[in-house]
Amino acid sequence: MSQLEKPMKISKQLRLKAQEFLTSKKNSECLAEIVRHFDCGADQPSCLLALELIFTTLLKEKQMLIEVVPLKPVEKTPENQYKEWLRNAYEECYAKVLHSLESGSHKIQIQGLSTAMNILSQEGKFPLESKGSLDSYVPLSKLKSVLMKILSNKQNNMQLINKYTEYLLFDDILFFTWKLLPSLTAKSNPNDIYIMNYLLLLEKLQVYQNNDARILCGNENGSFFTYEETVTIKCLNKIWHCVMLWEHTPQTHKQLLIVLLEKVLTHLEKPLLLTDFLMDSLDVGGPVSLLALQGIFTMIQVHNLDYPNIFGKLYSMFEPEIFHTKYKARLFYLSDLFLSSTHLPENLVAAFVKRLARLALIAPSEDIIIICNFIGNLILRHPGLKCLLNNPDCGTASTDPYIMEERDPLKSNAISSSLWELQTLQHHVLQSVASAARFINTPLPSVEWDLSKILDNTGDDIFDKEVKKFSKLIVLQFEKPCGASLIKDERIMQYWNL
Amino acid sequence: MQKKSMNPFEIHVNKEKLRVLGKKQKNDRGLPGVSRIKAIEKRKRTLLQEYKLLNKSNKFMDKRIGEKSHSMTDEDRAMARFTAVRVKTHNKKNIFNLADDEVLTHRGQTLSEIEKFDDPRSDDEESLDDVNNTGKLDKQFVEDAHFGGGILKRTGIEGAKTHRELIDQLIAESKKRKAEKQKTKEATLELTEKLDSDWKDLLPIISKSKKTEEDEVGKPKIDDYDKVMRELKFEARGTVSDRLKSEDELAKEEKEKLEQLEKERLERMKGFIDEKTSKLNHRSADDLDDDFVYDSDPEYMLSYNNEGESNVQVHAEINGKSFSGNHENSEEETPENAESSDEELETDSEDGLSDLKEQTSESEDENVNNTVNIKANESAFKNIITPDEEDVQKINNSEHEKEETNVDSLQEKIKNDLLKRKEIMENARKELPYTFSLPECYESLQKTFENQSSNHQSVIIERMIKCNHQSLAEGNKDNLGLLFAYLLQYINDLFAEASNAESIKNSFDIFKAIVPQLFDLAQVNVENSHNSILEVIKEKHGEFRRKSKVYPGFEILSFCKLISLLFPTSDFRHQIVTPTLVFIEQMLNKCKVRNKRDLSYGLFLSTLILEYTTLSKRYLPAAINFLSGILHMAVPKTGVKLLKVLPPFKSTSSLLVLVENYSLESFKSLQMDSTDLLENEIKEEYKIRVLYNTLKLLEDFYYNIKELSSSSEIFERPLRYLELIPTLNYPKEVQNYYIAMETKKPKALRLYEPKIEEIYDGKRFKVQSKKKAERDKMLHKLKKETKGALREIRRDKAFLGRVKIHQRLQSDRERKDKVKRIYAEAALQQSELNELDRQKKRKK
Repeated sequence: MSQLEKPMKISKQLRLKAQEFLTSKKNSECLAEIVRHFDCGADQPSCLLALELIFTTLLKEKQMLIEVVPLKPVEKTPENQYKEWLRNAYEECYAKVLHSLESGSHKIQIQGLSTAMNILSQEGKFPLESKGSLDSYVPLSKLKSVLMKILSNKQNNMQLINKYTEYLLFDDILFFTWKLLPSLTAKSNPNDIYIMNYLLLLEKLQVYQNNDARILCGNENGSFFTYEETVTIKCLNKIWHCVMLWEHTPQTHKQLLIVLLEKVLTHLEKPLLLTDFLMDSLDVGGPVSLLALQGIFTMIQVHNLDYPNIFGKLYSMFEPEIFHTKYKARLFYLSDLFLSSTHLPENLVAAFVKRLARLALIAPSEDIIIICNFIGNLILRHPGLKCLLNNPDCGTASTDPYIMEERDPLKSNAISSSLWELQTLQHHVLQSVASAARFINTPLPSVEWDLSKILDNTGDDIFDKEVKKFSKLIVLQFEKPCGASLIKDERIMQYWNL
Repeated sequence: MQKKSMNPFEIHVNKEKLRVLGKKQKNDRGLPGVSRIKAIEKRKRTLLQEYKLLNKSNKFMDKRIGEKSHSMTDEDRAMARFTAVRVKTHNKKNIFNLADDEVLTHRGQTLSEIEKFDDPRSDDEESLDDVNNTGKLDKQFVEDAHFGGGILKRTGIEGAKTHRELIDQLIAESKKRKAEKQKTKEATLELTEKLDSDWKDLLPIISKSKKTEEDEVGKPKIDDYDKVMRELKFEARGTVSDRLKSEDELAKEEKEKLEQLEKERLERMKGFIDEKTSKLNHRSADDLDDDFVYDSDPEYMLSYNNEGESNVQVHAEINGKSFSGNHENSEEETPENAESSDEELETDSEDGLSDLKEQTSESEDENVNNTVNIKANESAFKNIITPDEEDVQKINNSEHEKEETNVDSLQEKIKNDLLKRKEIMENARKELPYTFSLPECYESLQKTFENQSSNHQSVIIERMIKCNHQSLAEGNKDNLGLLFAYLLQYINDLFAEASNAESIKNSFDIFKAIVPQLFDLAQVNVENSHNSILEVIKEKHGEFRRKSKVYPGFEILSFCKLISLLFPTSDFRHQIVTPTLVFIEQMLNKCKVRNKRDLSYGLFLSTLILEYTTLSKRYLPAAINFLSGILHMAVPKTGVKLLKVLPPFKSTSSLLVLVENYSLESFKSLQMDSTDLLENEIKEEYKIRVLYNTLKLLEDFYYNIKELSSSSEIFERPLRYLELIPTLNYPKEVQNYYIAMETKKPKALRLYEPKIEEIYDGKRFKVQSKKKAERDKMLHKLKKETKGALREIRRDKAFLGRVKIHQRLQSDRERKDKVKRIYAEAALQQSELNELDRQKKRKK
């Protein structure tokens, strides 16, 4: 009971204290008490809330605003002294709030961020110094320190960055984050935690203005602020030059590619400069090369890049291991794009078809279905490949003429082979797979199979589908088992001594 | 009716541009005149009438009955009108018509009810009984008393009584009769009731005794005629469960027939379990019984044809019944299997193994084999190894034989345990009480099973099923369904709790004992068992989804095995088997293989896949991937070159590499053991066993799917690993085994190319969705109808125009006539006037 009540009480106490402090100037020791409590480390969220309450109110009531008359020294009235003291306390407390961003607990981190941003927003609305014509401004130094904390090099701030995206919906924060970022980008090689944080933040940053144009620091009629997209794009380019110079671990390399593909590539001034980087990435293998492949595809498509052996690369990516990576759907999607042209040489496509078919022999069921439909689509696009299905003058062959080990698809001799693999797959245990492989027995349809629907299928989906299928016919084994072994074809008991 | 021959000038012929043979045409000729007249007539009937009534607020209604309906004749009309008049008069309340609709009663019953003669019994009795027994006066008396009998009568009878006496006597007599009748009636009622209750008591006994009678009758001998007749009778029956994949159907029909026979035979056998004293004349090759005496009777030589069916007549005597003939020879493959003790099984299985190989070389003479086997059993397992090694090389040539003998040896192995098991069961039977009630809840079932051995549990369930057979009470079917669900739960708990070698062995024992009963239960309530197993699988899969990288508990192994026992796994698609296969595949694909438990678990699942697919000859990549992964683990990694392997295996793991030289002497059996599922430490002996079984499984898989066109590609990967495994460290048998396998490298069987023919049927269909097609059709129809309607309206208008102009002309004409007439009259008048004037003038 007491343990439960205690935090409640303390948060209430803190709140009371904050209110006391606000009511009268005499209660200045309350602030000191709160700060002390905050320093000792307990109940940080409620302390943060109390501080937030104090300073937002102070800012709102403009209690820290010292009237400055031009060309006159500030008078040393007790009023001003108090204000001076308040200001110092304010700066100190803000530093402490920022310090909480480095805390180990996500809850405190997020609370700290929201406190910092709330105070920042109030200060933006009610600036500490009268700025004449401006209605409001963004306290850049404070925002910068927040960003510095977010881009920490000590711990992964994924949660914090996710919270920060909420503030990025405000145009001014977004804009000034862009403006501040170049100065925060490390010039020499930073450690990978920093890079990861940086890339995560970059992934969330949006180049263009938000649709509803809200502003955090400023009044409702914030017509003074203009969002300049050219500036943000310039900043992005500046940042990217630095980022590319860093040394990357495999993880950050992957993240870098994701950010590049999803956010950056379209805004770069000279994307062709990235070609080398993408080529190198392509040779890394695994998901990284897959992502690089996507980048290269964009380059080819949009920027007229001419890459000599792109199909060879793609071909080499179809290894048995792909079925167990996260990016297999992307690979299928991409290769579908790459092979969508009907002007490719037939023996090249045939090599892809054969390789896919070979892989289907060892693939999980859900992938076999994708592969079967994919092969069907390829044959539809290239009617010349029908010889893989129906080869009247092939006669018989003792072995498959296709060479699986050949790296060059053009030399793999696939066009003189035949799709025996699909024939085999018609005997797959699962009915759905077997019927997917059955398309070679009937005339091909006139419309391609829609791959996008099945790309994300998993084994669980197949299970669910099978369970839901209902037929009234329930068949039972009719031979009574003897013990735990079947009358015919018992295998378990042959191999196991149970 | 003669069809009116048309004037050829009235017929309009539509010319055809292209004549298509066999095409029916509706519109090739038309009769424009006739149709125009028809249309005009119709308009006159409808439109014109309306036109005439246009702008008129009053109209005449013809309310005469039947005037408008053309189907009525004049007479009908008259009748209808007449009835209407009658009804009208009747409806007027007639104050003198009393109680017309009151129901007449007699003794509180309506007359109509009485007329139904609902109680025919009394009537019958009265009519059947002696006339005197009825309470009525008899005929003679009536004649005498009622009609006086008259003077004539009185004179005829001497000493006649007075009338009063007569009446008294009559009354007394009738009263007596009534009383008697009442008494007998009560007595019969009582008796029938008693008889009824007795019958109910006797019912179960009688039904049983009937059976025993039948048995007794059936026992002595069955002559050929009976047997053939019975066969024919059973043969005609087709089971629903024959649904199979279409391609396999033809191949399997033959097999199915045999299975059907087998099933019927099993049912007959089951009835006689109690009498175990019967002797089997024929002994299987593997018989281990102590009382076995080798019989050199040449009649019992066996050889097998393609189906594994013997072509030798075998006389088997079971429970005093003797069967003979080809069909019955399978009698020996007694399916009542065996939960015999563990050592028993172990020796058996070894035996089976050696047998398997021995028979490949010497399958012609079973009897010789028989002796060899027995000797082999007595001597150490090692002794047979030398012949084995030679035999292994021969496997290539004699695969087919091997398959037969494989099945055969298994069945014989099963047979072997029969007697022993029966004995145990018999003991269990004696020890346990005879009736068990069904458990109301799962806890009570647990309580019943507590501290009972596996055999006892089996007997308990058997008795539960018998005592609560569905024919005995109404709710029993559902209750048995509940029992099935409880048993599933019981198995689940049993395996989930098993954590050490002892308990897992025990759980498998219990599992083996319970399975036949579960099978029976499933047959009783098919739907329920289906649903509950499906629920179990769903639940387990749900659990697996949450933790998909780790092999789940052993209970899943047992459930998968149970499914293969209860349901036909060869179906192209099966309600339960297919999801289970998906589940197994996912486990094999996703779960990480880190220790001995994982290895054994995966191996078990692969064996299950083999079992599932043996009949259907189908193929699952995951199983073969797993097995090749195991081979990969046995390849020593040299560090520099990374040998790739498919996930879930890691390319660096080498759990199974044999470190030191190992000889065969130190281990008992090459079979996998249930304890392998537990221990985490991997011993050398275990490595060898795993490898041995993996290779054997691969071989089985290979034989299973070698018909498929890409089988060589499928097995390419395992073969590659196999080549890399150093052979030196392995004991001799294992070595030989896989070298033999290697020489068997499959040669690709090339099938014919799939033949694809375009179907051209002359019609071109637009490819579009059904919905859109429907919509297009409707739109087309709408357009057509709109056009038609417009045309009709136009014609209507023309018609009306004609009518109007006709009316106008007519009225004009009338007016002209009138004017003319008036003019004429006026002229006449004028002329007369003029005449008069002229006359006046003349007079002047």
